[in-house]
Amino acid sequence: MSIPGTRVAEWVAEARGLGFKRFDPTLPVWIAAALFVIFLMLLPLGAIFTTSAYTEKGLSLGNYVEVFTDPAYLKAIWNSLIISFWVGVIAVAVGSLLGWLVTRTDLPFKRAVRALVMASFVTPPFLGAFAWMLLAGPNAGLLNNWYRSAFGSETALVNIFTIEGLIFVMALYSFPYVFSMIANVCELISSDLEDAANILGANKWKIALTITLPLTAPALIGGFIVAFLHSLSLFGAPAILGLPAGIHTITTQIWAFFQYPPRLDLAAAFSVPLLIATVGLIALQKKLLGRRGYSTVGGKGGQKRLLKLGYLRWPAFLLVAAILSLSVFLPYGILLKAALSKAWAMPLTADNFTLGNFSFTFFEYSDTRNAIVNTFKLGILTATAGTLLATLLAYITNRQLLRGARYLSFFVLAPLVIPGIVLAVGLFIAYTRPPIVLYGTIWIMFVAFLTKEMPIGFSQTESTFKTIHPELEDATRIIGANRLRALKDVTVPLARSGLIAAWSFIFIGVIRELSASILLFTPSSKVVSVVIFDLKEEGQIGAIAVLGILLLAVSFLIILSVQWLAGREFFAGSRG
Amino acid sequence: MAAVTLKGLTKKFGEAAAVDRLDLDIGDGEFVSLLGPSGCGKTTTLRLLAGFLQPDGGEIRVDQKVVSSASVLIPPERRNMSMIFQSYAVWPHMTVFQNVAYGLKLKKLPGGEIAKKVERMLRLVRLEALAARYPGELSGGQQQRVALARALVVEPQILLLDEPLSNLDANLREEMRFEIRRLHEEFRITTVYVTHDQAEAMVTSDRIAVMHQGRIVQLGAPEEIFDRPRTRFVAEFIGKTNILRGKLENGRSVALGDGLKLQVVAADNLAPGKEVFVCLRPHSVRLTPSAEEAEAGRAKGMNLFDGVVQRRVYFGDANDYIVELPAQRLNLRVVAPPTQRYEAGQKIFALADPQQCVLVGEE
Repeated sequence: MSIPGTRVAEWVAEARGLGFKRFDPTLPVWIAAALFVIFLMLLPLGAIFTTSAYTEKGLSLGNYVEVFTDPAYLKAIWNSLIISFWVGVIAVAVGSLLGWLVTRTDLPFKRAVRALVMASFVTPPFLGAFAWMLLAGPNAGLLNNWYRSAFGSETALVNIFTIEGLIFVMALYSFPYVFSMIANVCELISSDLEDAANILGANKWKIALTITLPLTAPALIGGFIVAFLHSLSLFGAPAILGLPAGIHTITTQIWAFFQYPPRLDLAAAFSVPLLIATVGLIALQKKLLGRRGYSTVGGKGGQKRLLKLGYLRWPAFLLVAAILSLSVFLPYGILLKAALSKAWAMPLTADNFTLGNFSFTFFEYSDTRNAIVNTFKLGILTATAGTLLATLLAYITNRQLLRGARYLSFFVLAPLVIPGIVLAVGLFIAYTRPPIVLYGTIWIMFVAFLTKEMPIGFSQTESTFKTIHPELEDATRIIGANRLRALKDVTVPLARSGLIAAWSFIFIGVIRELSASILLFTPSSKVVSVVIFDLKEEGQIGAIAVLGILLLAVSFLIILSVQWLAGREFFAGSRG
Repeated sequence: MAAVTLKGLTKKFGEAAAVDRLDLDIGDGEFVSLLGPSGCGKTTTLRLLAGFLQPDGGEIRVDQKVVSSASVLIPPERRNMSMIFQSYAVWPHMTVFQNVAYGLKLKKLPGGEIAKKVERMLRLVRLEALAARYPGELSGGQQQRVALARALVVEPQILLLDEPLSNLDANLREEMRFEIRRLHEEFRITTVYVTHDQAEAMVTSDRIAVMHQGRIVQLGAPEEIFDRPRTRFVAEFIGKTNILRGKLENGRSVALGDGLKLQVVAADNLAPGKEVFVCLRPHSVRLTPSAEEAEAGRAKGMNLFDGVVQRRVYFGDANDYIVELPAQRLNLRVVAPPTQRYEAGQKIFALADPQQCVLVGEE
């Protein structure tokens, strides 16, 4: 049988056309990035589920039975729920009040109030807990000392090492989440909606209660859930304030399972309910916000007028100032005092003043020095790799480069519902045994941080790409540039400030991370947050304060530079 | 320059076909508009032409060479085409000069030649004074001209325009229509122009393809589309129209009911007794209060109706009437010169040339 020669030639030409012309040289990059992130997310979760379901007898629910019948473990779960519930309630009350005052009323010094709420947001909760330990510890706490000397009392005014103390401190660092959600919604409610009620005869207070409040209701419930979940996943604050009083929460209990003799199986089993609760609550929040969240509120901002508080203006400001002094001024003050004094509980006189804590922390003590180096090394590595990966992934989902790109964002955002300590349990199990052994190096922490910070990097880069019209890139391609060239010449330059912001957010997230690091560090790979935790045991108050101030200073410096950069972006508002 | 052939072109998004077995032949140097309401598949067709989308069926040929099919896709950057986008897509981080020069840089032309070509093109679109500006400092019309210059300077074989004027205000839009036609007459580049605005298509195009639900429902010169719409959809989409329903009696007469008859342009392909629609433009109806004039018109073979003025709206340059034909309680819309003024309730005669009464299909 013979095939005419011309037919063969045609067929070859066509096959070549198929193979070479259709091949997009950038395709392997997209596929590799997508597979990598799926692997990154699935491995720790898989490790948790398999470990939790195996005992010496093989596949069994034995671990779950052990964990959920022991009264001590049940008590830890109960504590977590009680604490998180009240943190949620207080955070919603405080956060929504401040959010409303700042956006809808003539409260004085609003910019300063916003900046200070931002400062509370940036403050790592474990640092706040540490500062409040110095302020309100029953024996040496500064506030208790003042109280005793002022009133000649023998007893302490407050004891921070209690469930109430824990709720108080965690609420201080959870309310900014609610604040930002409420402030956003309030800024979108146009005064037209309120005017409509006004014309029908409602006075301003009645409007606030019957129009503004119901419109913000979805955000309030959403805020409660976020604050609840935030406090549920915190490790540092309950460890610093709860453990000395023998109060365990889910996270500290998981940590305790890692102490000698380690019980990874129990830790894994104990992680699962936390994971399920988080997933469930996030799903609930999505449903609540999705149903009626933005249809009434969304769209144009519309005209806004500010409610005149009248004679309540200054009392309201004093209230706000009091709240912010609890979350910012007092803790920062005590940290600064502790950093600059020889004996932190004594008054800061010339005799007591020293810079020795700084030189000790930065130069003399190798533990802190190494930790600082490790922290910034990890911060830069993770932020750089994370931004790169997030950029690729956001580009894939935004431009629908791969089939099923929509589902990719599900994997990328998964860590949002994985508490840091649970992630660490999974990573610990996954990377301490072959084929990939990372434990003992900083790379296991790099992987942990990369996973944990992927959602924020991804959302930041995604929203940046959304603002860049795809036609800008199409315009490049149609006159002769391939996809990589288009990325380089147009998309990346336009996304620059968004990418820098993503880098900064990841960096700040990494340097303050404690709940995953606490399970993954080894003596050679300690980071600042872990050292703070360790130094507390040694009573090195001055060094902790110095490290805390360092973290805060670097964070604020970065946030301010990003804001400055965003402010001078020359084409920020332009068309196209 | 190039001729373009679309054959059986199909593109599906999920189950729905955005472009459905579309056929179109575009001659070398021809200017064709794809005209239709939003969602008719015109932009999808254009993006298929550009190579941003791959068809699920059919093929696109440029000068007989397949550039797109279900198995072949030449990427946009190797098609020798240019495109102008609805959003202009002028790069905000480059100056006007850099924007226009970019395509030439990709072609690795020497710097001196680039500068010469860019300057000539900027003069042509009257932007030479603004070469150093950033797009953020330009008006919408100026940005649009940057986009034009950028697309033309690379001397493409084919130029694609995607609703390029829809973001401009009315005056500028009118000016740019003529500008686009002028540039076409200068360069004679094969051009496909997507728009939902019939006036734009009329001014710019050699031929118009009216699209509906992913298919071309009529293709022809602007006059042909306007005067001889083939379907009810085309008649109603292009300009205002009266649609009269009736029964075809023989090749030239339609019974509207109650003894009212309408002489129409001959329709050879329709069988008598069928229900048909007649398109009668409001401009084609003449009103007169005088019985003699009406009779004279009828004597000349015009269709004659007597009716009552139901409503008059004054537009400055015209009077817009609704005339009720009592026979069938049928309302006829008529546009008359501003000097012809009749009041509501007045008896009136309406005359229409059979040549202007066009049978159209239901779809």
